[in-house]
Amino acid sequence: MNALMIKALAFAAVLIIATIAVVTSLDIDIFADSVNAITMGGAIAVATITASVAVKYVNQMKTDTAAGPLAEDNWDGIGEYENELPSGWAYSFLAVFLWSMWYGLIGYPVNAYSQIGEYNEDVLAYNAKFEAIHKNADEATLKEMGESIFLVQCQQCHGVTGDGLSGKAQDFTARMSKEQVLDVIKNGQNQLGYPMGAMPAGMAQGADAEAIAEYVAGGMKGEQPAAFAACGSCHGMDGKGNNGMSPNLVSYDAALMNHVVQNGKKGMIGKMPSFKTLITPVQEKALTVYIQSLSN
Amino acid sequence: MFFHWLEKNPFFFASGISIVIAFAGLIEIVPNFAKAARPVVDLKPRTVLELAGKNVYIKDNCMSCHSQLIRPFKSETDRYGDYSLSGEYAFDRPFLWGSKRTGPDLHRVGNYRTTDWHENHMLNPAEIVPGSIMPAYKHQFTNLADIETAYAEAVTVKNAFHTPYGPEFKGTRAAWEAHKPKVLADAKAIADDMKNKDVKEAVARGEVPEIVALIAYLNSLK
Repeated sequence: MNALMIKALAFAAVLIIATIAVVTSLDIDIFADSVNAITMGGAIAVATITASVAVKYVNQMKTDTAAGPLAEDNWDGIGEYENELPSGWAYSFLAVFLWSMWYGLIGYPVNAYSQIGEYNEDVLAYNAKFEAIHKNADEATLKEMGESIFLVQCQQCHGVTGDGLSGKAQDFTARMSKEQVLDVIKNGQNQLGYPMGAMPAGMAQGADAEAIAEYVAGGMKGEQPAAFAACGSCHGMDGKGNNGMSPNLVSYDAALMNHVVQNGKKGMIGKMPSFKTLITPVQEKALTVYIQSLSN
Repeated sequence: MFFHWLEKNPFFFASGISIVIAFAGLIEIVPNFAKAARPVVDLKPRTVLELAGKNVYIKDNCMSCHSQLIRPFKSETDRYGDYSLSGEYAFDRPFLWGSKRTGPDLHRVGNYRTTDWHENHMLNPAEIVPGSIMPAYKHQFTNLADIETAYAEAVTVKNAFHTPYGPEFKGTRAAWEAHKPKVLADAKAIADDMKNKDVKEAVARGEVPEIVALIAYLNSLK
């Protein structure tokens, strides 16, 4: 070990001690965390290797003498020996060459990153997880989920509380208002795609229509007006829509929710667009539970 | 040797390097770009009324707060619908992607909002969306949209970029007069779904308030 080497190692030691001193003064416990410990180990290795490599080359420069045939090219009188390539350099060149062939022909074309591919995987993974969680969801989970969907997709029109923002959209705290019933009786309705088909306009007139509207808007409680028979033939005498053949007049049942979410609706208040691209079947189920809870 | 000549002429050496790198860029970027920028199937250029609405959108600086670009992330497609494709903007000059979302993305707003919602919302956004910081745009109900300029724009992009507008789009006064009833009919269809009396009257008089054009444009974003 010569004097130079001792100086170099001393320099490395000073570097290491200084680093440890700084780290300790910052109140970082180096060995409490494996990442800190590895980083510190790496820093020590780098300092030592740097010092010893520097020493090796400085020594070599002191002792080496130039010999051997010169290359043909020279640059303003500065020549170059015709040495063999250093083996490490040559092997790494070969390795990089082979890797680039692989990358150009197989690596990139076959394994190329695709944003859409990542998106598709993301969606598949999410859907699988979602299905698993909500396969046997209980009422409370569905209601909670329905509420969050409502807040993202529905409240902009129907209001945070579902009251329809004073007549700007359907009011979910009740099934139908008197004006809505009268409007449907007067104009008919052909928007929802129920198996029963379009409801013709003018099914009842004057006082009969008033009585029906009063009765339906009141939640179908009390004595049924005789004129309701005209409605009952399609909507059922209990107003529940004949097992999904026509709209339920009493509550927001699953069939009604499905028809409105899929087809949208154009009624007295205005037009609701179809949400079939934005709401999945499970979400629709959850929304139904939530919206039913609003009117109860 | 060519190599020696190149070494002694740094200008040509630098040019050569640039050409080699540019060539690599060219074969990687151009074919992909040309493919992606092609209009998607069934893409229709905007009608004159929608173009006028787009100009209202630009004038009132909607793109400062609203983007029109749905990225392929689950969280975005859940809320806004399918992610956007380059080809969907093929006829947009300029495109209005925007880079800031103070408000929600609007690229597919036509799928889930309707004329009457926009009407209520533009008059008083905070009333419709609690906590909204969007300002009211009441002036759009009284200011008139410039449908004539929108028509000129359609004719210009047809001539300059071959945007597929029909043969009736010609740069003459007569052609515009012939097309104007179509624009007013579109405006009437929007106004029929609205409740504001002044707007309905203006459309009946043959004028197009900005709000009508803007709603036509927003409804066309699908």
